Amino acid sequence: MFRRLLLARLADLAMVIFGVSVIVFLMIRLIPGDAVAIMLGANTEVTPERMAELRARVGLDQPMLTQYLRWAGAALRGDFGTSLWTGRPVAAEILTHVWPTLELTLLALFFGAGLAIPVGCLMAQTRGKGADVAMRVAAIAGLTIPSFWLGIVLILLLAMLAPTFPSLGYVPFGQDPIGNIQRMLLPAFALGLPILANLSRLVRSAMLDALGQDYIRTARAKGASEGLVVYKHALRNALIPYITSVGIMTGYLLGGAIVVEQVFAIPGLGRLILGAIAERNYPLIQATLLVVTVGFVLVNFVVDLLYGLIDPRVRG
Amino acid sequence: MLKKLLSTTILASGLALSAGASAQTLEIAVPQSPAGLDPHIITAFASFEVVNGTIYEGLTALDKDLKVVPGLAESWTVAPDGKTVTFKLRQNVVFHDGSPMTAEDVAATVRRVQSKDIASPLATRLAAVENVVVKDPHTVEFQLKEPSAPLLSSLSTLAMVPKSMETNKEALQKAPVGTGPFKFQEWQPNGFILLTKHDKYWQQGLPKLAGLKFNIVPESATRQVGLTSGQYALVPNADPATALQLKGKPGVKLVETLELAYTLVGMNTSKPPFDNPKVREAVNYALNRGEIVQAALYGAGVPGGPLSPALKEWAVDLAQYPCYKPDAAKAQALLKEAGVATPVAVTMSVLPRQDIKDIAQVVQEQLNKAGFKVELKNQELGQFVQDWRNSNFDLFASTNAGSADPDDYFYRTFRTGGSTNVFKYSNPKVDQLLDTARSSLDQGARKKAYEEVQKELACQGPVAHLAYGTLFSAARQNLQGYDILANRQLSTLKNASVGQ
Repeated sequence: MFRRLLLARLADLAMVIFGVSVIVFLMIRLIPGDAVAIMLGANTEVTPERMAELRARVGLDQPMLTQYLRWAGAALRGDFGTSLWTGRPVAAEILTHVWPTLELTLLALFFGAGLAIPVGCLMAQTRGKGADVAMRVAAIAGLTIPSFWLGIVLILLLAMLAPTFPSLGYVPFGQDPIGNIQRMLLPAFALGLPILANLSRLVRSAMLDALGQDYIRTARAKGASEGLVVYKHALRNALIPYITSVGIMTGYLLGGAIVVEQVFAIPGLGRLILGAIAERNYPLIQATLLVVTVGFVLVNFVVDLLYGLIDPRVRG
Repeated sequence: MLKKLLSTTILASGLALSAGASAQTLEIAVPQSPAGLDPHIITAFASFEVVNGTIYEGLTALDKDLKVVPGLAESWTVAPDGKTVTFKLRQNVVFHDGSPMTAEDVAATVRRVQSKDIASPLATRLAAVENVVVKDPHTVEFQLKEPSAPLLSSLSTLAMVPKSMETNKEALQKAPVGTGPFKFQEWQPNGFILLTKHDKYWQQGLPKLAGLKFNIVPESATRQVGLTSGQYALVPNADPATALQLKGKPGVKLVETLELAYTLVGMNTSKPPFDNPKVREAVNYALNRGEIVQAALYGAGVPGGPLSPALKEWAVDLAQYPCYKPDAAKAQALLKEAGVATPVAVTMSVLPRQDIKDIAQVVQEQLNKAGFKVELKNQELGQFVQDWRNSNFDLFASTNAGSADPDDYFYRTFRTGGSTNVFKYSNPKVDQLLDTARSSLDQGARKKAYEEVQKELACQGPVAHLAYGTLFSAARQNLQGYDILANRQLSTLKNASVGQ
């Protein structure tokens, strides 16, 4: 059964990647603006002949189909080509940028999704009371505050309270673990807060649903402790929608990461994509978007597997 | 737990900070990651800012007033016919790769820029150079097709590279090698670019800093906070909005100068209505430049004509341009004389940059009051550049970097068929003046020719020059020896040091 699921998923993945590669390839070439003109910028002295030379230098003078086949063929062999103007290998470029984003996304997920379970349960247990109302108001606030604004406010606050605390930029964990964590705290918080708000509301309503079921009454009747009732019997059933949401949100986190990376000056995938689009760095955009797509599909695959772990019915 | 983590990390960072202060690597915050660092290929300011005057130097250099002074060449002589310039090179210049700089490197650098394969946008600046002859290891002769007055100024921006790089298209984009006070160390794309002190720099005792670290910080608010909190020591070439918010913050100082760069409204002279000089003149009368400076540049700038007032030697006093006195009635009268139907409906493409968008709105309002009906077209950068290049516009609002020698800007922009004459402007009188001034080596004659060019262009030219902004750099109080230059180069950082 597991092997069938895996094979089906892999086939899906191949189709998605092919589809995305074609769409991305066409889409970025449909954006108005010529890569060579943009590279040269406004007000540079260049004759049309020079522009043609530059275009030929990076292979943009070829017909589009030729360009696609060349690129796809090389990509199948694991060669994503080189960045348009720097000549840096695209794969290396992505590799250096993927870690900050991965770390940021995981920390934000850990913070947001991790805290959402206890907070959501607490809200369900104290339903209608002061604590529940306060947390629900806070959750709405958390949902509506945009990450970039929160990020800037956090930076400003920290600059006032602890001016020497290094909150900007990025240092690899291997190079300086403390410095790495210090710089990741605020962005992970800014990115994770909307997740926490969203998921805790979801957990709350799922829990309320579960707590109203007959088997909960039965569990209580047989004398199970309240903690056992909530965290074992009810929670397990409430988790299915939660896990689906976490899967989807991991995708959205990547989008949020673009903004947060921008505010906190973190050299991640989001910044890489933004920069690549601005300069029409076609090979770089193509490969980066493929990597993000694969990541998204993989996360959904893991989510499917998790269903099986939590709900025996899915396994059958 | 979190509190404890915070307090220990604050302590640890305090220690790290004091260790950093003794090493004195200057933390600089810049908004954009460069696309490459090869001085002969790059065109973006984000790239120039990192390499020019820091990693790279030219045979000549510009001083604070943008006058040509010796650089890697200690002296030069121009033959009486103006067609041969002989440079005497300094003896003690060493490239970052350890090789000494000789006349061979100079010749290779010129060949590199002129080569088709490298396709350098700087090639046109060396158009007059026919041949470079190595006389001895430290003497090099430039043989010219015709005398070229702007050559010496152009050579200040021609970065000297080792001869081993002559045909290499890629190495310098990633790891530049020059003769400047700082050498390239590490580049973490979108993260930072680290330069360290060049120990064998030819100027004794310089640079004083251990290095420069260009942190890429895209968000303006983040750069501000980073500077006020001391994480960054310098935010160079900041826009007025950012700079004015940093004014008076404790520990922060502002340095300012008048820019060479200017804002402009460009007009397409190849089609109605702006093919008519009277309509162009009407635009100039309709504009109120003082109001533009106040409303869009936060008062940080001055109205200006075809040349920056920063170029004291060249610029004509604005009082000499009658059309610089705002007069909407006169503008309408001119439109009537021109015989165009009013209101004159035109579109204006706008460079996607906040200050230009602000300026465009003020300009729109001013022109609409004087018989025009301007529609603003906000475009994405790529599209804007493409339309600009293809002369696909009625009007556009933009900015341009300006240069130290008038020839650099005027010739390519206003000469018939000039490489950036996207207005398709053609004026035989201007052409003739520009040709004369280019090949004349008599400073007085050049000055006179350019004065006439400016007067010819100011009211009826294809460009309504608007304003020259004030350029700011914001720095920590204890940064000493750094001076801001009108051409935005950071070359004075070699004199900089961090005090207590």
